[in-house]
Parts: sequence; C-alpha cells; structure tokens
Amino acid sequence: MKKEVIITGFGGQGIVLAGKVLGNAAAIGDGRESTLVQSYGPESRGGACSAQVIISDTMIHYPYIRSADVLVAMSQSGYEKYIGQLKDGGMLLYDRDLVQPDDSIKEKYAVPATRLAEELGRKMMANIIMIGFITSVTEVVTLDAAKTTVTESVPKGTEKMNLDAFGKGYDYGLSRLKGLERKAAGKTGAMS
Amino acid sequence: MNQDQFNFIVYVCNWGPHAAYMELQDRGADIPLEIKMVRVPCTGRIGKALLFKPFEMGADGVLLAGCRSGSCRYGVGTENAASNTEDTRKILELLGIQKNRLRFETFLPDEPEKLLDCLKSFVRDIKAMGKSPVPRKRAAEEAAPLAMADILTRYDVHSCQDCGKCTSACPLALSGKAFSPRAVAHDAITGNLDSEAFVENVWSCLTCGTCYERCPSAVNFPEFIRDARHFLKQNRHDGHEVHGGFFQSLMRTMTAENLTMNRWSAVPPEIKTDPRGKVLFFGGCTPYFDTFFNRHLGVTTSSITLDSLRLLNFFDVVPAVLPDERCCGHDLLWTGDVENFKRLARLNADMMASTGVTEIITACPECYRTLAHDYKEQGFDLNVRITHIYDFLEREIGKNAVTFKDFGKAVTFQDSCRMSRFEGRPELPRTLLSKMKPQGFTEMQDSGKSAVCCGNSGWIGCDSYSKALQVKRLKQAKDTGCDTIVTACPKCQVHLACAMENPFRDAQKELGVKDLVSLVAETICWE
Repeated sequence: MKKEVIITGFGGQGIVLAGKVLGNAAAIGDGRESTLVQSYGPESRGGACSAQVIISDTMIHYPYIRSADVLVAMSQSGYEKYIGQLKDGGMLLYDRDLVQPDDSIKEKYAVPATRLAEELGRKMMANIIMIGFITSVTEVVTLDAAKTTVTESVPKGTEKMNLDAFGKGYDYGLSRLKGLERKAAGKTGAMS
Repeated sequence: MNQDQFNFIVYVCNWGPHAAYMELQDRGADIPLEIKMVRVPCTGRIGKALLFKPFEMGADGVLLAGCRSGSCRYGVGTENAASNTEDTRKILELLGIQKNRLRFETFLPDEPEKLLDCLKSFVRDIKAMGKSPVPRKRAAEEAAPLAMADILTRYDVHSCQDCGKCTSACPLALSGKAFSPRAVAHDAITGNLDSEAFVENVWSCLTCGTCYERCPSAVNFPEFIRDARHFLKQNRHDGHEVHGGFFQSLMRTMTAENLTMNRWSAVPPEIKTDPRGKVLFFGGCTPYFDTFFNRHLGVTTSSITLDSLRLLNFFDVVPAVLPDERCCGHDLLWTGDVENFKRLARLNADMMASTGVTEIITACPECYRTLAHDYKEQGFDLNVRITHIYDFLEREIGKNAVTFKDFGKAVTFQDSCRMSRFEGRPELPRTLLSKMKPQGFTEMQDSGKSAVCCGNSGWIGCDSYSKALQVKRLKQAKDTGCDTIVTACPKCQVHLACAMENPFRDAQKELGVKDLVSLVAETICWE
C-alpha cells in the first residue's frame, strides 16, 4: 500500500519537521519505505512551503508527488497552491482557524491545531498537534512509531510537552472520527 | 410504645367529617384503637409538610378526612387538600414508601357510617401492607455537646476587628434587614447566646459567604454560623425552617435504613447507566423539589440531573447511580441537625464504598461541597475523587471535536455560593460559557465572588427581606438586557422562579431561567 502526503503551511510552522517525523516514523518505526521532498527556499521566510512524503510497503522509485492521497494544509496560501494536486476523493486535513477550504472537497477534517497549541502555551507546537491528528485520522503511521519519532525529533527537555501536544491532536482526531460515526447514526448532540 | 404497634394519623376537618366523627364517638362505635385523630380547621390548611411529618415520625398511614367537594366552608379547602395529597403521595413513592399509606377522603356531616367504614378499611388495608419502612426510632448517631467557646476558637472569631466590612457587604443587611454578622460575632463572644437578636440572626444568615470574602481577619463566618446552629439546636432552640420544615423532614426520613427508593424512576430508557460503572453519578434532590413545587412554580430541576446523565453518555461515560441514593445531607448540616446529617452520610458512604467506584461526579454545587469536604470533616472519608460536572465537561470538551449550536438568547449568570465562593472557582462556569454561543453574555452588576445570593440556602429563614433581595437580583439580571438567567444550582432556579412569581413585581421582568448543564446539553454537538 502506498500513501502520498503533502504537508503545506507557512515557513516557520514546522512543516518540514512534520514531514520528517512522518517519514521517519514510517521508515524507522514501522519498517516501511518512505521518501521526503521538501520545498526549501524563499518559502521558509514566510511563504507557502511544503513537505512531500511518500510512504509505501514497496520500494519508492520516484519521490515527487503529482497526485496526493492526503493534503495537510496549515495556511490558506499553501492550501490554494497545492489543492490542485490532491487527487479526486483525496483527504484534506486542515487547521480550522487558518484555512477556508472549498465546499467541493468531500473528505475533509478540521482541527484547531494552532489554537490548541496556544492553549497548551506554545504556538510552535501546532505542527506536532497536526502530526497527532494525521496519525489518528489517516493511519499512515502507527501510534507507537509516531510517538517515538516525535520524542526523538524535538529538542531535549521538551519531550513531555510535545507528547502532550501530540496526544491532544491524536485524541481530537479520534473524537472527530467518533463524531462522524455518531452523526451518521443520527446522534448529533446530547439530547438526541 | 411498642415498636410493632401500628400508628395511624387521621386529620379530620372540623366541619364535615368531624361532626360525623363525634357522632361515632357518641354512640361508642368501634373506631380502630390505633387511630390518633387530629381535628383541624380545614384540610386545605394541612400542607405537604404536615401530611408528611407523621411518616418521618414512623406513622404507618395518614388519612386526611375533609369536606365533600362544594361543601367546603372556605371554598378551596377540598381542592387544596386533594392536590397536596397527590403531591405528597408522589414524594412518598419516590422515597419508596407506598403511596397508599396516604389517603384523602371527603365526607358530609351526616355520613358517620361511611366515615366508620372508611376508617376501618383504611386500617385494614395498611395492616395488610405491613409496617412502614420508616421506623419510629432510629439508631442514634452521636454528636458531642458543643461549647460556644470551642466554636469561637475553631473559627478564630476573637480576631474580629469590629470593622464592619461584613455587614456593609451582607446582602441581607443591604436589603434592609436588621442583620449584622459583626453583631452576631459580638453576641457570641460576649455570651449573649439567648438574646432574641442572636437567635434570630443565626437562623437568618444566608451562609452565602460574602462576609467571609470581605473579612480582613478571614473569619469563616458561614461555617461559624453552621456550628452555631448546631449549638442552638442542642440547646433546644427551634430552627426557622421554611416550607413547614418539609425538606428537613424529608431528609430525616431518608435516614431510615430499609427504604427501597424510586428516585431514578423518571430516567428515560435512552439514558444509559451501569451498576458496574467506575464513575458514579450522584443525582441530588431534584425529583423531590420538582414534585414539591410543581403546582405554583413549575420548576423542572430534574432536567439538570437528566441532562447531566445525557452529557456523561455523550462523552461515552456510562455511570453507576445509587438506586437508594439519599440526600447528601447538606441542608441538615447547615440547619443544625448534625446527628441526622451523619446518619445520611453513613448510609451514602456505605453504599458508595460497596460500588467500588473511583470517581463521583455531581452537578449540584451543594452535593459537591458536602461530598468533597464535609463528609471527610465529619468522619466519612469516601477515598474517591469527587468531580463537579463542570470540571468533567471542561476536561472532555478540551479533548473532543465538539462544538456548540447557537443559543438564540442573551444570557447572564447567577453564581452558586458553594462553587463560586466556598470553592473559590467563579471562572469555571465562565470558561464553559465562553465556549458556547449565546446571543451575548453580560455579567450582572455583582458577579463572581461578589455575586448576590439567590435569596436563601438550606431551606431556612426565608422572609420578606429574602424576597427583596431576590427582586433586586432579578433587576440586576434585567439590567444586563438578557433573556435568560443561567444558573448553577437547582435551588437558585427554585428561588429565582419564586421571585418572578411575586405579584408586586412588574410582569415585564419575566426572564427565562436555565441551568448551565442543560444549556450545554441542548447546544453541544459533534463537529
């Protein structure tokens, strides 16, 4: 099975790190194949930057993504730049407060990653929250692999804080899926 | 008197049935010997408290014999008696005392035979049911006699600087009552314990805690009052219980060990509970309040309990409930009846321990306060985490993908004294409110830790000053321009609804009242 994931956002949000964590988790943690291509240039000073991650059970011959299974958008400009590369029926994950997606996209999942990170006290952890959210919603990497990789990828001394952030995103994703299931079963709120 | 002997109380109206009763006496008819006849001016004046009181004292049956409909000397007596009986029967049923132990029958003066038949069949039917589950005498729970000197020391009342900040902040004093926490402290220190003013003031205090907030010496005045009430009760002063002492009577009745209660009977089937759940939901007294007040206030405080259960279910918590849950005892503790408080606490604590739960959640600020602090202080350590439902909601909303539907009304918030002041957590309900979408949220002039009391606590000492206080509070609410007052305590809801029924108040000031839990339950939804 092969999954192609584009993560995009502003430079400085930790987009490339998020891609790296995802790729490492798949390759080192889950023992699968993965590649990472990062667009690295003027974007890192604030424009729309991206990380392209391919995760596969078999060898990957070409690391660039032309038709993504998953698009993760953490900025409006990134969303607009890359939405064309999301294949039909692909999955969009986005920061609810930063991205306004098009109504035509059917499978989309929102998380207030930046707001949750602010509530945790550090806006810069929005990317880790997003990794947690990706882990539970898309299942491209396993929970254990993602957690281990997050722990190993963040600065020493901030492991617990980042794991909390990861957990927050992961739980939010689980709850989002549960909510969808409930809604499909006709249970929208507490009274019905 | 023998414990096994049956006891029946028959309230007889002076006009219709009493004439018939006298005729039976004149001719030496065989009226059952276990009957104690109480002649009353009108059965319509026998309120729910008096109908219920004999059951608290161990009566096996109560018969209210009134005048035939249309023959009441005062017009509405028969109707009132019928409705009071119906409500009291519902309460008996909730408690697990068969409702047929209470009956209302009507007679004309010239129906002695019918009266005799009725008395005999009444006694026969109830003897067939057996003794009431509430025994006449219940095991004593001891409380050592209190000395005022010890109470003064415990709360360091001697450190009162006589500055008067308490009185200037006291909502009762501000409503015009000759009430002063400072003067109470002064009387207690100087030993003026039998003075009319001291006794009156000890029973009048709202125990709302505003004075404690302001006191520069941090004298815990509400708790001092609580113990002073116990002291007065031990020294044979009657309390100033309201509603005829009905609620205290109800709570004392719950100290009977053999009650098999029906307090959860109104829980609809879609709400899930599980006797093996690791979380226990403690419901509180709302079904009793609703039954007691249904005629004139139409309050539905039970919706707080039901909506709490719905919210627990919404977040996948299937809680256990205690089938025979007793009142937590808050009102007995705060009206000086520590002995009966301890009986309730022991029964609840034993039931809780037998369930093996690790967390108890409650939506009532008084239950929360009592379970979290007073049980331990009085020697009943529950050894489990006590959580207020707002904390639970805060925790779950924080980690779940939920949102809130618009609530098309502007709101303001009435703080509960137990959570906002005693627990010192006025921000807790406000954080929840800030996540929701009312059409606007405006604080009243006095809010948070300096919020004005809803007018009463512990069903004690309600008077025209309490009413003035409530009307003032409603005005503050109205001034915010809101449509709905959001409350945090079932009693605030009862008291504010009562104040809105005040005939002297401008009907234009009608406001909706809704508990925060219900507001959350009605608007929360999956994203």
